[in-house]
Amino acid sequence: MKIFLRLRNVYHEANLGELEMGTILEFFQAFQYQYMQRAFISAIVIGVVCSIIGVFVLLRRLIFLGQAIAHSAFAGAALAILTGIDPILTIIGFSVVSAVGIGYVNQKKLMNNEVIIGIVFAFFMALAILFIGLHNEYSSDINSILFGNILLVNLADMILLIVFSVVILLLVFAIKKELFFMTFDSQQAQVSGVPVSILSYIFLIAVSLTISVSLKAIGAILVFAMIVTPAAAAYQWTFKINIMILLSTIFGVFSAIFGLFFSYILDLPSGSTIVILITAVFVISFLASPKRRSAKKDQLECPFCKDYLPGPCEECGGDCDLGIPHTHEEERIIISTKNLPEKEPTIHEHMEDVTQ
Amino acid sequence: MSGKSNNVVKEIDTIKETNKPIICLHDVVVAYQSNVAIFDINLDIYRNEFVGICGPNGSGKSTLLKSIIGAVEPLKGSVKILGEEVSKSGNLHGLRKKFGYLPQMSDIDRNFPALVKDVVGMGLYSKIGLFRNLNKSDYEKIRQALEIVELEQYGDRPIGHLSGGQQQKVMIARGIVNNPDILFLDEPTSALDFKVARNIMNLIKKIHDETDLTIILVSHDIDFIKNNCSRALCMNRRIVWDGNPKDREFEQIVNNVFLK
Repeated sequence: MKIFLRLRNVYHEANLGELEMGTILEFFQAFQYQYMQRAFISAIVIGVVCSIIGVFVLLRRLIFLGQAIAHSAFAGAALAILTGIDPILTIIGFSVVSAVGIGYVNQKKLMNNEVIIGIVFAFFMALAILFIGLHNEYSSDINSILFGNILLVNLADMILLIVFSVVILLLVFAIKKELFFMTFDSQQAQVSGVPVSILSYIFLIAVSLTISVSLKAIGAILVFAMIVTPAAAAYQWTFKINIMILLSTIFGVFSAIFGLFFSYILDLPSGSTIVILITAVFVISFLASPKRRSAKKDQLECPFCKDYLPGPCEECGGDCDLGIPHTHEEERIIISTKNLPEKEPTIHEHMEDVTQ
Repeated sequence: MSGKSNNVVKEIDTIKETNKPIICLHDVVVAYQSNVAIFDINLDIYRNEFVGICGPNGSGKSTLLKSIIGAVEPLKGSVKILGEEVSKSGNLHGLRKKFGYLPQMSDIDRNFPALVKDVVGMGLYSKIGLFRNLNKSDYEKIRQALEIVELEQYGDRPIGHLSGGQQQKVMIARGIVNNPDILFLDEPTSALDFKVARNIMNLIKKIHDETDLTIILVSHDIDFIKNNCSRALCMNRRIVWDGNPKDREFEQIVNNVFLK
């Protein structure tokens, strides 16, 4: 409710152009303060590292694994608050343990992936609640870890974030090809000499480190949006992995910077502003996606088999011996109802590749 | 085993004189937990052979293949490839550079961000190191491999947009782009309809005829094995037949095994 009131105030202020300029100026003036500089740098670094690692998380379908890691990191943070030890140690410890544990069960095929992730997820959440309960007094630290505040990032946090990000990115780019191969076809990657099991552990550890160091700025609940959403938005635009990585980074950094900007001038929670922005980027990408558009445009109904199938006729450029506009897909030829011949052409059979 | 005709024995003898076996299995037993999957496997495969392996479901065809490529560890016995022990070899990684492998068809997401040439390029990853990307000569190899499978104009198209048969041809291109010594095919056409499957099989035959590749094919297509392979194995948890598939006895054995 408070936020709505605030938003309404801002809206009224915005009507008076001067004041709006004033708030924007205020944002830039704030850069003289170190906390603002740190927030800005952290936002960019998180935008880069989360969105790059996110591409592989998305393609390897590890989205819920990441969610489980984020919540075990929260349990780690709660333990640190309870015991007073350095939170980063317990955060990294908990998230790496859960990631490697799930990875092990997954690799040995002991049970379905979803089962173990569900169990670990709930267990670490229970641990977190237990630690918070044991810590009798209310601590604002818990709030800040759950929801994050990029303006509270201190120098040590920032250096840690930068160092880990550099290491993670070097690691990911070192094994990029192999990760890509494993993502595409893990069994075959193994047969061709890619050390699949070691690399998937390395990757899981990289994901948990990314989450651990981003936790303070974005918060345990929202950190995963920074990993999944930019990558999902980038996925809508391209068929090339390198371009997907690049786009994902651009989206991630864009929403981190503008999220910080809006959260500052509108006085909103930083984590949620960033996540709302990146979600907007995703929605726009999804609606404008060339992949979706092209699929829709080319989708014609076969008048005989009533199958909807995409793809223009790239094999013959639209004129095989059929003599009417049509498309090919897998084993079928698709003719638009507009061009429907008087009777079923004999060539229209459910046969194999027409070019052969 | 006694079914080898004199001709075949002679043929195999001449190969033996000129060649050492490229793959050599001795008394191999593979078990999953307490179930013995295959046992009593003694097998020598020579360069440029085209071996077809058939057998009913659960007869251990795929297990045999997996034990050769080192994907499962035998309980007992030794597997040697190019003179090197597979199971104990720390050099499995190095050995695998000499393999090409074509798995069963799998579904590919229509929007997966990979172009056909990227997928073929994966076959070269084991030869280039970390941090490196494919260079110009690699792309030339990719183009040649696509030419062999007759898909040279498809290099820049997303892999998900190709038909099932075309995707499997791309996988063949990936299997051979590395210029391997041995190509393993595990039921490469099981998800495809008959006509497309034949098309793929003929392509494999063509590749075998034009190169000195050793091909080991697991397939249910007994007609194809009979007409094209230089050697057939019939499996029923052990090798029940090993010889020339054109032999009349092969058909009887196959009928026996499949109808039992």
